[in-house]
Amino acid sequence: MVNMRLSNITKKYGKIFAADGFNLDVEDGEYVTILGPTGAGKTTILKIIAGLIDQDSGEVYIGERCVDDLPPENREIALLTQGYSLFPHMNVWENTIFAPTVHGWNEKKIEVIGKEMLNMVRLMDRVDAYPRELSGGMKQRNALARALASNAKVLLLDEPLRALDARLRIDLRYELRRLVKDLGITTIHVTHDQEEALTISDKIVVMRKGKVEQVGNPYEIFERPTNIFVAHFVGEANFVEVVITKKSSDKMEMIDRSGRTIISKPQDFDVGKKVIVGIKTEHTAIEKGEKPGTNTFLGKIQRIMFLGKYVSIEVKLEEGKKLHVKIPTSIGTAFKENMLVTVIFAPDRLFIFDYPEKGLEKELEVE
Amino acid sequence: MKLTKKLSDLFAKRSARRGWNAFIIFFFALFVLLPTIYVLSYIVTDWGVISTDVLSDTNSVDLSWSEYTEADFLEYEVHKSTVSNFNLTETTLAFEIDNNKTTHTVLMGLSPSTIYYFKIGVNTSSRIIHSNEVNTTGYYETPPPSFEIILYEPIVTKTESLIYHCLWISFEIAAIVTIIDFIAGLPMAWMLVRKEFRGKRFFDTFLDMPLAVPTAALGFSTALFWAVTPGILSPPGSLNLLSSPMLLIIVLHIVFSYPYMVRSLAAILQEIDINYEIAGETCGASRLTAARTITLPLFRAGLVTGIILCFARSLSETGGTMVALATLGSMEKTGPVLIGTWKHVAKYNPNLVPALAFTSIVLILLALVLLVMVKIIVTKVKLPLKKVWPRPEKFLSKGLPPKLGNLFTFIFLLFIVLIPSFFIFSYVATAEPATEIGWGGFWSSLYYSFLVATIITVIDLALGIPMAILIVRGKSKKLGHVLDTLINVPLIVPTAALGFSLGLFWSTQFSFLSSPLLLIIFAHVAFTYPLVVRNVAGALEETDVVYEETARTLGAKPIQVFRKVMLPMIRPSILAGAIMAFTRSLGETGATLAVSPEAITAPVYIVRLIKDHQAYYQAGLACIILIAVSYCAMLLLRYITKKAR
Ligand SMILES: Nc1ncnc2c1ncn2[C@@H]1O[C@H](COP(=O)(O)OP(=O)(O)O)[C@@H](O)[C@H]1O
Ligand SMILES: [Mg+2]
Repeated sequence: MVNMRLSNITKKYGKIFAADGFNLDVEDGEYVTILGPTGAGKTTILKIIAGLIDQDSGEVYIGERCVDDLPPENREIALLTQGYSLFPHMNVWENTIFAPTVHGWNEKKIEVIGKEMLNMVRLMDRVDAYPRELSGGMKQRNALARALASNAKVLLLDEPLRALDARLRIDLRYELRRLVKDLGITTIHVTHDQEEALTISDKIVVMRKGKVEQVGNPYEIFERPTNIFVAHFVGEANFVEVVITKKSSDKMEMIDRSGRTIISKPQDFDVGKKVIVGIKTEHTAIEKGEKPGTNTFLGKIQRIMFLGKYVSIEVKLEEGKKLHVKIPTSIGTAFKENMLVTVIFAPDRLFIFDYPEKGLEKELEVE
Repeated sequence: MKLTKKLSDLFAKRSARRGWNAFIIFFFALFVLLPTIYVLSYIVTDWGVISTDVLSDTNSVDLSWSEYTEADFLEYEVHKSTVSNFNLTETTLAFEIDNNKTTHTVLMGLSPSTIYYFKIGVNTSSRIIHSNEVNTTGYYETPPPSFEIILYEPIVTKTESLIYHCLWISFEIAAIVTIIDFIAGLPMAWMLVRKEFRGKRFFDTFLDMPLAVPTAALGFSTALFWAVTPGILSPPGSLNLLSSPMLLIIVLHIVFSYPYMVRSLAAILQEIDINYEIAGETCGASRLTAARTITLPLFRAGLVTGIILCFARSLSETGGTMVALATLGSMEKTGPVLIGTWKHVAKYNPNLVPALAFTSIVLILLALVLLVMVKIIVTKVKLPLKKVWPRPEKFLSKGLPPKLGNLFTFIFLLFIVLIPSFFIFSYVATAEPATEIGWGGFWSSLYYSFLVATIITVIDLALGIPMAILIVRGKSKKLGHVLDTLINVPLIVPTAALGFSLGLFWSTQFSFLSSPLLLIIFAHVAFTYPLVVRNVAGALEETDVVYEETARTLGAKPIQVFRKVMLPMIRPSILAGAIMAFTRSLGETGATLAVSPEAITAPVYIVRLIKDHQAYYQAGLACIILIAVSYCAMLLLRYITKKAR
């Protein structure tokens, strides 16, 4: 229905930047996820778009129009807040037709829209119930029906699945996407759950400390993170500090602090530079006993965590550093705690990043 | 429908809302805050007069005389001379009084080294009558019956000491009352929150009943129950125990301040209860920490509220105190009673204004200082509370002490609060119907009171709710904070001082507005406005702003958000605020007397019946009618708001 653009939005609370030069382009009908840890400024961004908070600088465009001078009620944006905030003194029906009523549409139209929305979210049989009588999933659907009944062009969802049980959360996320995609509404969905973001988005914006860290489709975000934070926050990764020692046309050689040699495809870094090598735990292999060679790390198994389909194995290296490996459970059963193992980084799966100014630890901080 | 649409369109504009907020602040500043403390400006502008007339070594004299009842009355003349056996001339005339019911006056600025002589003359259409002569030597001889007007023995006091004496009594009483309220209130609050027993609901209701009884009626009722009452036939059950004015006032003030203390403490105990449970559920072992970090600050907050409410109420009370003292036949006065009495006289003798101003200033300043001090002491000084708190808890929960405690609490409530409040029924049921003065005056005063109470409740709601919204939801946190603090000022300034200050403000700055009815309305708005704002602001603080934000994004304009979302959520608090404002206005005497001696509201009428006419039986009946009518009004308000839901 409409595209949207945020240009250089900044908002400060005291010394904290809730938004720090935040840019975002959303295409017509696109389902965009803003993914970031708690306190990243996600809610702030949504409220600025909705007009509930005034940004310190920057502009919000809906379609081609800058809406900064419009009050929230005229922006044609529906915001679904974190706790749904269904009006407690209204029942399902009254909640649903709130927007049509305040717009003063005629009663027939209100009736039609209300029924259409409630049928869509399967709540037609609960029209008389008050929010306190509804389950979490019903509340979420009622709030969605209320938001959609407002005829909004843009839908903002602030952690819409957070308050639900794990099982329901997974079911509902596909339903949510299907509903709004069918209606063709431009949607921004905010979450701190990387799995949720990866499974439902057309486009993911990874956000930290008020800034955009990376924008891309789920595949790009997962497979080609452009910085340490994204690699770490989306999925799970191992990081090692290294120095580049040799570079040729087909490979690059590096050495870590304990003298291990690591080889990767050549990348745009100079010899002698200190960099960080990263790899997703999914792409990290493990073998029993000591295996010589490059890209290998000898260590002892510290812990094995069962994740259902996968096991996550924590390996402690001689110098005390810990690496993580994620392998299918069927293979994982062969490993036991305290076993001597070798962790292997696949050379073609390695990411190489600049050494961060403030050190690796600081860069991995989530909040 | 069209109008509401226009309004909501108007308020959708930011500039319109900004203008409206500015108006609300302007209203508060000009109609509530400034008039309340205007008298302080006297320190700057008229300090000279205060220091020569009040703070110098001068005396004041109280004169009272027998009433002239013939229809040809024109005016009383008060004459003063420095020679004995003087003749009434232009030069001896101090001032005139054109109301034959006003048979009491005060003269000030008398040098202690001079002997003054006084006479009262009565101007009638045909002749001039004069009274016997009295003087300031302390010698008084009962005049021979040949005098038609008898001037009674004058009371001479040093003005400054009189003022300090009255103020001291006020503060002393307020402090004692607050301490007793706390000691007796804690176990009561405890029982209400933590104990389950049969009839708890009745207990709960009974506790608030004195709040709905106008204090003038309470004063009469309590005095009849406790005091030695010369000239009144004691009804059966009367204790006839107290003859000390101090003790009587203390007992009276406990009656109407006790419920405030219990409510404040109970509200906090309730929250502590919840917090204990949450702490117990979520983090088991850290109960102690929770108690230290949550319970104590909360408890302190409740204590501050309770102390300030009780102290301010006691310091401010006028009508009930006046009635109780008159019933006892005592000449003792508290600060507000002094202001009320003098203000009545000052209508004819403007020389009293500096003394009135000085008394009000001291009262206001001390009240403000006390507010700050109590806040600091209770929030900053941590030591005693930490220790005191767990002790009553342990003490009250085991073996014999709790039973004794419950018994004590029950007896206290029954004999100190409830029976004295409603003892008046026993009096009216058993007293001999006396000759009556006629009921016309009472009905019109009752109408007047209701008119004022209704108007101020409407004004309070219309302008108090927006103020609460501005304080809690306003863009500027700082402004909200400042307003929140300033709102409390009229609440703790004793109403008699407030009334005097406000009357001075309007009559000197905007004299065209100072009709008695308008002045009374302004005065009652000033001290009831904070009640509505406080209640609504409290409720708003507890409702999450997210509902309002959601409504906005769904397309509701600010006025629609208010009507459809905010209002239904805060309705109970609005009701509570409205009831408080209405009943406080209905029962108020001090501010009414101090702002305009001509405005006769129902409580003022009752005070007059007792003080000026000794019409006790009729006063008793009038009290009962007033109590009944204010109960009905409360029920009606409740009904209306329930229905509107
Ligand atoms: N009203 C506010 N006042 C002060 N700081 C705020 C306010 N709202 C948010 N913040 C701060 O801004 C940052 C971003 O908050 P928020 O947008 O709620 O993050 P998220 O929704 O990603 O968890 C946080 O550090 C938070 O503490
Ligand atoms: Mg958030």
